[in-house]
Amino acid sequence: MIPRLTYVINILKNLERNIIQSFGYPPKELALAYAHQKQVPRQSTKFTLKDLVGDGILLAVPKFRRTVEKRWKRKFGSPDYVWKMLVPKTNIAICNECGHHHERGRLCGNCYKRIETETKEIQAKIEEKLGNNKPIENDVIVLYDGEKLPDETKEFWQGKRIVEMKKERPQWFSKNLLQKTTQQPSDSKDVKPTDLA
Amino acid sequence: MNQADISKIVSKLRIKVPPEHRRLRGPQGPEGRLNKLRKTVTGLIKYERIELNYRRGDEARQYAERLISEAISHGDCHKPTMEIADYWLLEKQLVHKLFKVLVPRYENYNTAFTKMYKAPQTYYGRNIDKAVLELRGNPYPSLTNKQSNNRLLLQNVLLDAAKYDYRQAKYAEMADKMSKTEELQTKLDNNPESKPSESS
Repeated sequence: MIPRLTYVINILKNLERNIIQSFGYPPKELALAYAHQKQVPRQSTKFTLKDLVGDGILLAVPKFRRTVEKRWKRKFGSPDYVWKMLVPKTNIAICNECGHHHERGRLCGNCYKRIETETKEIQAKIEEKLGNNKPIENDVIVLYDGEKLPDETKEFWQGKRIVEMKKERPQWFSKNLLQKTTQQPSDSKDVKPTDLA
Repeated sequence: MNQADISKIVSKLRIKVPPEHRRLRGPQGPEGRLNKLRKTVTGLIKYERIELNYRRGDEARQYAERLISEAISHGDCHKPTMEIADYWLLEKQLVHKLFKVLVPRYENYNTAFTKMYKAPQTYYGRNIDKAVLELRGNPYPSLTNKQSNNRLLLQNVLLDAAKYDYRQAKYAEMADKMSKTEELQTKLDNNPESKPSESS
């Protein structure tokens, strides 16, 4: 509505001016008096980046603000992918052997370290003693200090692979936990354990 | 209808075999995968207990089980089985071990021939799942010593004895109390006038 109105008003204004001008300009007495000032022509210089920067350098800067989602995901991670918040673990169990804590469904770290060192010792011993490239035809029998072979004839043990560890059997590496495997020599007439290897 | 019984062609393993194999990606592709697995199977047969990444261990375990079960069912006079053993065992003295040590050991087993445990996780490092893979019946100390439920374990024997003692003591106490109350009752029944007379 308003644009049309202004359009009509403009038409009327043009008409009025044309009509007045057709009768000649108004007399000079009606003109306004003003002092004319001659303008000094300014040197027109093009705007360049050099004026702004000078000796410095320009760095790239972000153009837009990061959204809240992106900022929070950077800060806390995403629960479906990488969750950065500290979350309490509920799968911790206590080892029945040593009482240390370990994750459920995994070996206990403390027990495993102990067994691992012993295993590696035995493996190294086997490798050292029987690590020649001969064909392997017999099982390995590991004996600790002060242990005897199970009762068999001498011919039975011919060619068997026997590895002797130069130390006492660890207390935890035993099949029979009711009796001590390593005992101090004593005069008592208690029955000593047999067949522990 | 006329299909052959699949269990007679392929030996049935006693472990869970997933429908798809792992790819174990590397620059050499599928051939590199098999080379990796051959190395692992050889190491397992040689050392009988190894620690390695879980994915590779789980993959190699299936091949080791298959190799042993083939060796048990066909023996060392079967040419294809011997070729399989020659392919999977990089050190040739282990071929002897497979047929002369492992076959007699596992002939009468009803369980799988290998065992796999998840190794304890290392924190503050590369967080890759580790596993311990071992042959059963190895000479090393066992990884799971589940003796806590064994009634003959020394601690359990002592605990049982302590429980028994405690219970006996409690029974004796209860019996003592009951006999005392009974005595009082009988006294009161025999001379009911005695008490009021004493009080007056």
